[in-house]
Amino acid sequence: MSEWEPKIVAFLCNWCSYGAADLAGVSRLQYPANIRIIRVPCSGRVNPKFILAAFRSGADGVWVSGCHPGDCHYIEGNLYARRKFALLNSQLEYTGIVEPGRLHFSWISSAEATKFAEVARGVIDAVKAAGPARHFIKKQAEVA
Amino acid sequence: MSDIYISRGKFPEIIGQLMARYRVYAPVLKGEYHEFAKIEKTEEADLGYQNTRLSPKGLFHPHAERMFEYSLVKDDPQAGILKEAPKDFSPRVVLGIRPCDAKAFQLDDVNFDTTAYQDPWWVRRRQTTTLIGLACNEPCGTCFCTSLGTGPFDTAGLDVLLVDTGEGYTAQVLTQKGKDVVGITSGWESVSRTVSEKMEGLRKSAEDSLGRQFDFDPIKQKDMLELFNASFWDEVQFACINCGTCTFLCPTCWCFDIQDEVWGDKGDRIRLWDSCMFPLFTFHGSGHNPRSQKLQRVRQRFMHKLKYYPDKYHNGAACVGCGRCVKFCPVNIDIREVVRRMSATCVCPA
Amino acid sequence: MREYTERIREAAKRLLSEQRVDTVIGFRRGTVPFMNEPFLVKSVDQVDQLYWDSNCGINLANYLPKRTDRVAVVAKGCDSRNIVVHLLENQIKRDQLYILGAPCRGMVDKRRMMADLKGKEPLHAEENGKEIKVSGRGFQVTFDRQTYLQSNCAICTHRNPVVYDELLGDPVEEQQGVDRYPDVRRIEAMSVDERWRYFQELIAPCIRCYACRNACPLCYCPTCFVDESRPQWVGKTIDPTDTLTFHFLRAYHVAGRCTDCGSCERACPVGIEVRKFTKKLEKEVKELYGYEAGVTPDQRPPLDTFKPGDPEPFIK
Repeated sequence: MSEWEPKIVAFLCNWCSYGAADLAGVSRLQYPANIRIIRVPCSGRVNPKFILAAFRSGADGVWVSGCHPGDCHYIEGNLYARRKFALLNSQLEYTGIVEPGRLHFSWISSAEATKFAEVARGVIDAVKAAGPARHFIKKQAEVA
Repeated sequence: MSDIYISRGKFPEIIGQLMARYRVYAPVLKGEYHEFAKIEKTEEADLGYQNTRLSPKGLFHPHAERMFEYSLVKDDPQAGILKEAPKDFSPRVVLGIRPCDAKAFQLDDVNFDTTAYQDPWWVRRRQTTTLIGLACNEPCGTCFCTSLGTGPFDTAGLDVLLVDTGEGYTAQVLTQKGKDVVGITSGWESVSRTVSEKMEGLRKSAEDSLGRQFDFDPIKQKDMLELFNASFWDEVQFACINCGTCTFLCPTCWCFDIQDEVWGDKGDRIRLWDSCMFPLFTFHGSGHNPRSQKLQRVRQRFMHKLKYYPDKYHNGAACVGCGRCVKFCPVNIDIREVVRRMSATCVCPA
Repeated sequence: MREYTERIREAAKRLLSEQRVDTVIGFRRGTVPFMNEPFLVKSVDQVDQLYWDSNCGINLANYLPKRTDRVAVVAKGCDSRNIVVHLLENQIKRDQLYILGAPCRGMVDKRRMMADLKGKEPLHAEENGKEIKVSGRGFQVTFDRQTYLQSNCAICTHRNPVVYDELLGDPVEEQQGVDRYPDVRRIEAMSVDERWRYFQELIAPCIRCYACRNACPLCYCPTCFVDESRPQWVGKTIDPTDTLTFHFLRAYHVAGRCTDCGSCERACPVGIEVRKFTKKLEKEVKELYGYEAGVTPDQRPPLDTFKPGDPEPFIK
């Protein structure tokens, strides 16, 4: 599968991680172009439905990133999100929908461009190791 | 054509002969319940069943059915043009269907096959399918077919009716299609007097065990609005949780919804079962929902089966008494009780 | 459990005639074996229809949200925990409610008895203390109540109501030393591909009737995600991906709120063990946040709150 490049959907919070992506770009930091960024107001805005929808539509990986705990623009959005993601993460693996290495979470502030590029590379490597998505993909409905 | 008989030992040969010429669907045990499925081996067909959990309506009106396919590729000259999805309409035999379920197809025909409109898939499936029924020697405790004008040995809607007489099966051939199907099989004998007496005895004991559980006729005479506004609906609806169990298991519930599903640059137009129990069923594009309340939805289901349908088609009730909804309703709403209430002499307005 | 019938009728009569409540929610005797029907009593002359036995597994808290009248409700341990969840989520007010607490020894599992009848159809069932006598055409069988408990009842640790206004009988002994999660651990021990196949097979018979969702007291959203159309998150066919999306999100929506009352599983017409989805979440919530749903009326549900030091080993 040398030609295969993973598609990764990244939900980045407007105030921190998206800013970090911006800064990484301005600073000319390099990371592979496997990531499709979707800007969200807050990591707390990321509904589990979004993550499932990304996988259903064929994403090989999903990455959600927000502000560090305590730094949320909305004070506590990411703290609620943390609990949501903890349960979501374990349940997705439990049901076999997502294999280890496909779903990633991080806290990256808008000043941490280096961390952004590093985590991006890590996410891409992990998804590459997991291989092309195979379980939870909606194709043509299996109907009569 | 007079009745014919085959011994139990030779019956698998008949199934084998049918399978050589037709796609054969029969009750197959899956888990704890039977289900109509295409059989690949004669021994898969299990005619010692009471009834299937899901009605066989899915054989003609599948739960979800691809009607059309289309392409969304920009440069494709065929883009956006609906093309009928290919389907197998080769001749098939449904073996061992119960008389109530066969009768249900007749009741559904008024919806799918009319002079004004013919549903192509339903009609073609009906035309290419031969129904070999199996009389009910031991109806379930939840059955009430005899109270709605059909019965455990009813031949309406069937092409052939089999009766299990213990050592073998008798076959009553009812239509040309039935004749054709029986014509390709061999090994039948004539029915002996003892067997025919036994068959008559089975019919009587089955019908007697069902009895007449309610009187449906008064509902026909009643004023529609009187029933519509009756106060008992409030009590009937309370327990209902508005799930789709009754409608999905019912052989005469035909309502469907149509959805487009797109993935990548291809799309399907799919028809799927819908249920009047769901709030979305009558939801308008404007945001208005004429049946937003549970009571309205519960009333609709029973009124449609027991009042609107009989009044519109003069074809009896849109219920064959198979008892599936009674057996599987999670909160035990029993249509027999509802009929008794609807036909009671005093239905006082709320 | 039959003795509760008289107690419920007596209490209903008293509460209605003293005008303490406007209505009473209980069960009336079912028309088929192993089934009872949730029933709303509006006047004293209906009181004698109220009934109680081991087939009252449907959770009556499901009938409470958005009620505006003063209502008495019969509540088992699990029902009472769901009432607590309703109170926390402002679905009903405590002063509207009169809770008739029913200390519970568990409800029986219709499906397992049916399976052991091997196709014979039960026509009558009569409960007598620890036994259930079932008869049909040419057979009679006696089932031991305890052996045929619903699987959630067998591992229940809150048999006594947690809130009530009066009890219908003496509190029952709570089950001690129960291992609630052997099945969860068994699935956890599988490989990811085995787990995927396991859940695919589990939901394969699903007919998308939504009985599991609708029997659940927690599912009261005005518009369910299943019914959303712009965007449409879940396809409506019986395609396995869509069916799994539904079951996954349904379970996720009840995370930290589910009391394991078993209504979903009981309601399923095709016998899917839908609790296999919810129990893992219950275990996680307990391990991560030390929370048990519906037990404490003054603690917010776990996804409705946070602690600064919540565990986050999965976050980079």
